[in-house]
Amino acid sequence: MRFSGSVLLTAAVLAATTAPAQAAWRGYISHPLGFAFAAPGELKVEKGTYSGPVAGTHASLIYRFLDDNIEYKVMVVDVNAQANQSANLLGEAEFQFQNQKKLLVDTIDRFDRQYGRKLTIDLPNNGGRTTAAFYFVDGRIVSLQATVLPANGDYDSPEMGRFVDSITFSPEHAPDDATELPAPPK
Amino acid sequence: MSRIILAALTGAAIFMSTVPALAEWKSYVSKDLGVSFMAPGEVKASIGTFRGDVAGPRQTIVFRATEDNIEYRVTVLSFRQAQAHGAILLGEREFMFRQRNTVLSDTFSNVGTGKDTIYGRKTVIDLAMNKGRSTGAFYFTNGKLYTFEATVLPAHGNLTSPDPGRFVDSVKFTGAAPGAIELRAPKVE
Repeated sequence: MRFSGSVLLTAAVLAATTAPAQAAWRGYISHPLGFAFAAPGELKVEKGTYSGPVAGTHASLIYRFLDDNIEYKVMVVDVNAQANQSANLLGEAEFQFQNQKKLLVDTIDRFDRQYGRKLTIDLPNNGGRTTAAFYFVDGRIVSLQATVLPANGDYDSPEMGRFVDSITFSPEHAPDDATELPAPPK
Repeated sequence: MSRIILAALTGAAIFMSTVPALAEWKSYVSKDLGVSFMAPGEVKASIGTFRGDVAGPRQTIVFRATEDNIEYRVTVLSFRQAQAHGAILLGEREFMFRQRNTVLSDTFSNVGTGKDTIYGRKTVIDLAMNKGRSTGAFYFTNGKLYTFEATVLPAHGNLTSPDPGRFVDSVKFTGAAPGAIELRAPKVE
């Protein structure tokens, strides 16, 4: 009995040490941008470009994380000069995201007096699955996107929903230990 | 043989005279409100009210027609001072339309092309308590929230009638069909 117990314990220890450790989820907040969210892995900040027929071309700010072959991205596009077209700009961003892709989920999203949309698509050429949420807040398009890459393969992973559902536009809902995101470039 | 033909023709004539004549679809335009659409029957204008948590209480301009137990309605609310909140106001309106009803479909609905595209949504719901089926299309542009609803009432008998889709798909925000009947928008306070 003692021998079989120690074998089981050894096997459990071996399994725990060989399974890849998943990073802890941390809270992040940007007071200038007015939102907070949670994500695992190391933060990288990038600049990108966003364009659409209605929006035109704009610089975008991207907060990116990668953990366990799931990519997490928060994209912020300042379109304040066209804020009066907020409904069209948001609709365009949502439409472009799913255009000519296999759309699995398309649903309204409502919280913190914000109304946005949550969409899930399968990427072409078996490139993975992305769940995204889109909002228009204070003159900006804000989009959270989590992509399960083929190397992960678990396209039903709850981590996508966990990420997009972590967004809040009320700082009082952010955890006390949330990390302040780098200030957006001027 | 001729008696049979005569009897058949008489029967058809009686049948045709008892079937209610369906009204012709006409084009309507409201230059004040920047919208045109098609609808059957006579369109009447009125003032209505709306209340949303975000929108607050507002007066609305309503164009309404009823034909063959289908109700067609265009509702316009002005938010000239809150255009930057158009996305939220549009989302609230869509949410209120579907709340507590069975959503059958919810899709993108775009009017126009290129940089002039107006992005909206089209939603089909079954109304609670078997009150019929409603198709709604929602847009926010030029400071106004537009709702287009066509409700097939139970008395119509065919919840899959193509007429609601014909109505919501006829919407234009630029230009109108030649000969469109001009609608005067009543003044809201």
